[in-house]
Amino acid sequence: MKRMFTSIAVAGAVAGGLAVSFSADAARAAGPTDQDIQKDAETPGDVLTYGMGLQGQRHSTLKTINTETIKKMVPVWAFSFGGEKQRGQESQPLVHDGVIYVTGSYSRLFALDARTGEKKWQYDARLPEGIMPCCDVVNRGAAILGDKVYFGTLDARLVALNKDTGKVVWNKKVADYQAGYSMTAAPIIVNGKIITGNSGGEFGVVGAVEARDAETGELVWTRPTVEGNMGTLNGKESTMTGTKNASWTGDLWQTGGGATWLGGTYDAETNSIFFGTGNPAPWNSHLRPGDNLYTSSTLAINPDNGEIKWHFQTTPHDGWDFDGVNEFISFDLKKDGKVIKAGAKADRNGYFFVIDRTNGKLQSATPFVTQTSWATGFDLKTGRPIYNDANRPPNPMDGGGAAAGQGKPIFAAPSFLGGKNWMPMAYSPDTDLFYVPANEWGMDIWNEAITYKKGAAYLGAGFTIKPLFDDYIGALRAIDPKTGKIVWEYKNPAPLWGGVLTTAGNLVFTGTPEGYLKAFDAKTGAEVWKFNTGSGIVGSPITWEMDGEQYVSIVSGWGGAVPLWGGEVAKKVKDINQGGMLWVFKLPKA
Amino acid sequence: MIGTVLGRLFVAAALLMPVLAPAAAASLDTVMSRGVLRVAVYRDFAPYSHRDGGTLKGTDVDLAAAVADKMGLRVEFMELTADENMDDDLRNAVWKGSVLGGGVADVMMHVPVNRAFAQRNDLVVIFGAYQRETYAIARDPARVSDTAGFPVFQTEKVGVELDTVPDFYLSGAFGGRLAANVVHYPTVGQAVAGLRAGAVAAVFAPLSELEGALRSAGGDKFPIKPMPAPNLNPSEWSIGMAVKQDGHDLAYRVGDVMTELLESGTVKEIYARHGLTHNRPVE
Repeated sequence: MKRMFTSIAVAGAVAGGLAVSFSADAARAAGPTDQDIQKDAETPGDVLTYGMGLQGQRHSTLKTINTETIKKMVPVWAFSFGGEKQRGQESQPLVHDGVIYVTGSYSRLFALDARTGEKKWQYDARLPEGIMPCCDVVNRGAAILGDKVYFGTLDARLVALNKDTGKVVWNKKVADYQAGYSMTAAPIIVNGKIITGNSGGEFGVVGAVEARDAETGELVWTRPTVEGNMGTLNGKESTMTGTKNASWTGDLWQTGGGATWLGGTYDAETNSIFFGTGNPAPWNSHLRPGDNLYTSSTLAINPDNGEIKWHFQTTPHDGWDFDGVNEFISFDLKKDGKVIKAGAKADRNGYFFVIDRTNGKLQSATPFVTQTSWATGFDLKTGRPIYNDANRPPNPMDGGGAAAGQGKPIFAAPSFLGGKNWMPMAYSPDTDLFYVPANEWGMDIWNEAITYKKGAAYLGAGFTIKPLFDDYIGALRAIDPKTGKIVWEYKNPAPLWGGVLTTAGNLVFTGTPEGYLKAFDAKTGAEVWKFNTGSGIVGSPITWEMDGEQYVSIVSGWGGAVPLWGGEVAKKVKDINQGGMLWVFKLPKA
Repeated sequence: MIGTVLGRLFVAAALLMPVLAPAAAASLDTVMSRGVLRVAVYRDFAPYSHRDGGTLKGTDVDLAAAVADKMGLRVEFMELTADENMDDDLRNAVWKGSVLGGGVADVMMHVPVNRAFAQRNDLVVIFGAYQRETYAIARDPARVSDTAGFPVFQTEKVGVELDTVPDFYLSGAFGGRLAANVVHYPTVGQAVAGLRAGAVAAVFAPLSELEGALRSAGGDKFPIKPMPAPNLNPSEWSIGMAVKQDGHDLAYRVGDVMTELLESGTVKEIYARHGLTHNRPVE
């Protein structure tokens, strides 16, 4: 800091005539504050957070573009991420002071002039050999505070760059990529702390939420997600997560899973951050009796010290790979004349949960997909699922598998890719509806006769993902959180894999693998606009206001986990070309 | 003869168009005219392939070098990070390459030879079994006697590599009665370190991995022997190699060379050099 100040002072002294532009530069260098970030959802002139507000509602108050005017909306410019490096573009752009910050596949970050699309700078993380990211080389977005933009890389580092120059300010190793860790989620910033989860790592990983000083990158606290593990605060042990061995046998809590790879949301009213946790390890649920807390759960955490306030486990003792990482979106539930401070989560397991965000108490759990074979419902008193035991994948040790050839398959729905995967839903306080990008698929799962891991025999499961219907897999559904009822739905042939945006212009936006950015009437679901971006969309749309006009933007570029799986699903997506492009739209000037 | 001419033509074409097809897996002719055999081995996988003071060492490394030498080729190694399962590894090593680039190898080492597995992976040819892997117990003789069976682990702790057949077996067999005494380690090497430190009384793992970890530093203190394991399945499997599906001619040649090396005792020598027992696969 001191050195930078000196060099600016020298420049000022030498070229006194530049005083005016210098002060403008100084203003730009200041960048957004913690207060700006906290009220991001109310300031349509910028997009400072992943989720368009720390609560993650993905709602904009803008309405210049609405169900009537959108028919005229056209592209303004587009920007190619270039190079040979394409693949899945799952990013959500940020906008600040006329600059768009957008991340691309292979851990790249671009700063673009929001008016013209001209590139200001580009940062390419130098990735080491030997990284093995699960499920494609994606990145979901950046964070911004003051003069720095931040993003995570595939080799599990957190990088802070000067927002005006793209120069590295600090670059911290968050976890060991050689142990299989990576970082693909967008960080969130709460009161000067940059908060991240961990991702990847099939072997011996325990999930954690971590807070660092955004200025220096120094670790402030860590909170492991599996009970029995110790948290830290200011370099010292703080408290244990849960109670050791309360819901795990033996030493399995040391390697229990629960990765927090999708990042989190924050609610200022309750001063809580919400992180979802991944499924437990090992995959064979018969080897780890118990609930396996806090895997496949949502955790409410105090951002000041990393203490867990409450948890809600969406899939206790998971046996289907129902990762619980999905976003928890805070909203006011207006029901029976009362307003409940609530939050909602559409889980991999096919249930839409409404939870009191002050205490973690379940308000309702309703299916948002047509089949949930693993459970018949949730008991609202206990907050637990009513399992269908016959639908739990069998234990390979019980035979029928390795010894006698392939075991008998069971059919479970949703598939492990989930009723909803990573792609974030949106909530509109105008319609009081959630807009959930869902998928209708199940899986045949059986004990594989023989499978191998690193040259050694292994008792694995075989599976085939199967669409439930011939004519569609994806379904964008408007859900009333008061009743759990589906108000409208849009069916899409290929699985939906991109985020959702809703606006006060009575619009809902989402992208499709077929390449279209589409807009729907938020109340009726009628499709009112579409534009083909040239490759599949798996990113999240945004909107903002600049020079008195409303803009919409989306990244296009097919990839993510879907193309990695074959079978029936592949038929719907095999002809989609790769890409890597940011598109920007607005209404033509009258 | 024809093969050689075609091979030369291919090289000439490659020189004229250097930007095309980076390191695509090749047929026998291409490999022979290139003069280099590219071999994929696992990263950090002692005693088969691992870095020791920066140098790549291990039985798979020496075997691949011996094969290349017999063919009059130089050997080049591609180190492979293990993916979730071997079906993924075959894709990354020989038929498609990693999404992160780096191309593919001509031959991958340490590929299990099993009909069902080969049928499932029809984009590769699996051949040339050179080792039969079995499981064994390394024990602290003060805590586990020579004649003890698995029931001893009702009272003594036993180390396993997480999420492996020994893990599943000990956690699930005997009605789950041993589960509380199973100690999980990320690698066999770390489990053996636990044995040395007294954290566990024994380690249950593949024989050659135990031998590799123990023989390297005074392992004689900890005898290694199979332990009768009812219903352990599979209790053994064969290890060979793989090439891309269109590389049948390369597979025949490399397979023949491997047979020669097995017959001449070279494979056994290489295993012995690394302190390992070589078990020839059953034909």
